[in-house]
Amino acid sequence: MHFPRINTLIWPALIAGQLGCSAAALAERVDPNELLRRMGPAVQMTSYEGTVIRIQNGKAEALKVVHTVTDGVIREKVVAQEGDGLEIIRNGNEVHCILPDSKSVLVEEWDDQSTLFSTLPSSEVRFGSEYDVSFVREERVAGRPAVLVAIRPHDGFRYGHRIWLDTETAFPLQTQLISEDGTAIEQVKFADISLNKEIHASALAPSIDTASFRWLNQPSGHAKHDVEADWESNDLPPGFRVVSTHGETLPGSEEVVTHILYSDGLANVSVFVASQDKASAAGPSRVGGSNSYSASVDGHRITAVGEVPAMTVEQIATTMSLR
Amino acid sequence: MQISAFVDGELPDAEADLLLRRMSQDAELRKKAAEYLDIGRAMRGEASVRGVERLQARVAASIDDKPLADEEVAAEAPAGRSMRPLVGVAVAASVALVAIFGLQIMPGVNSTNEVASDAAVAEIVEDPGYTVPQPVDEQLKQFYLSHGASSSELGANGMNTRLVTLRLSQEVLPEEELDDTAAEEAADETPTQP
Repeated sequence: MHFPRINTLIWPALIAGQLGCSAAALAERVDPNELLRRMGPAVQMTSYEGTVIRIQNGKAEALKVVHTVTDGVIREKVVAQEGDGLEIIRNGNEVHCILPDSKSVLVEEWDDQSTLFSTLPSSEVRFGSEYDVSFVREERVAGRPAVLVAIRPHDGFRYGHRIWLDTETAFPLQTQLISEDGTAIEQVKFADISLNKEIHASALAPSIDTASFRWLNQPSGHAKHDVEADWESNDLPPGFRVVSTHGETLPGSEEVVTHILYSDGLANVSVFVASQDKASAAGPSRVGGSNSYSASVDGHRITAVGEVPAMTVEQIATTMSLR
Repeated sequence: MQISAFVDGELPDAEADLLLRRMSQDAELRKKAAEYLDIGRAMRGEASVRGVERLQARVAASIDDKPLADEEVAAEAPAGRSMRPLVGVAVAASVALVAIFGLQIMPGVNSTNEVASDAAVAEIVEDPGYTVPQPVDEQLKQFYLSHGASSSELGANGMNTRLVTLRLSQEVLPEEELDDTAAEEAADETPTQP
């Protein structure tokens, strides 16, 4: 049986007409801050299964994801559909990262509240005066009605965010990290998703036989202890403040490194103070949307790392000094 | 300018289709389009090119549609008329978009040697965006990993941070292995009950 098809070219006109009529009314009744407040619990408590497309540096990567919550225990599975075939399987706090290429399984402990998908810091001051939050428009993502919310920084020291939230559940169907010139640095979006569906146990089981793999304890660290901060930036970009300071022993080294974590409520920057090593490189580097900058100050290697523009980590690293 | 209207998504569909057909056959026109656009940004998926986004959606939809058999087209002539040109547009758009932007923003479209050797695509390799150095020493990698863990504790950058740091972790796998018993216990605890 054949169903009549509507000419594809007609749809944009029909949708545009609908949006034109409803966008202004919607903007009046949608509180973007309220949507963002609902987003955190939605990410943690919603059960879902779908396909995620992650785009970074022009490379697209497809991931199959499953997430379920039972009696407060989060279970997740993420499987890369190409490339290294990475699998992440989480059962509560315990996480198995299966690396087929190296025939290894890393066993990690994750924080209770940490999820694979981004949430926003729950602090009441998370946006302070450094960002504006606004409703942009309604769009469909993964076949579901969504509301696009923009988080725009006031200056070039931090990135912006665009988040498409499911109209019904406030679940983030698509997120973009936006550079100062308005382009997307990183993007994660669902190509398809089933929300609040019953997840079968088999969907959370490993799809790879790991019997012959190496099982490794991933050192979650980075052993930490609180210390007094004797370093500070004398020209910290506006809005950033110290969240924590601790001494940290990194794997493969006996040295205790001072780790100062700065945040503007949304963007985070870590500063590491280590002894100067002749072999260590100075200057900028980048991994994904994260930038770092290393500088030599008073015989120490100061490195700033964060999901912020390159100029932010450079300014912070080069203005650190002993109190 | 027609190309700028196309980039802004303001060119009527019929004219956009015609422009793409011309691009697929006219190297000079492709070159002009490439020069007009900031190709490096587009390649990295950083450019928001509304015309391309609209066309990508249409192309993807067309490619995903199974080809209509002749009898199906005959049986539903109105739909058939709309499908046939759209499939044609899909081919033209695929060729033109791949030629201009490369494959990274056209998932699902196969490459060809001719396209890969296109001068417009070759320029992209030299984009300065790719010259930002990656971490070169182990300590710096550990800094990224530690920062990723700290950021996640604050609730930010969940999946991206995890994936990026996990891949960095692969390069600095610890030597300490679980003993056999621990490995078996860990395997037994792999989640199976939702």
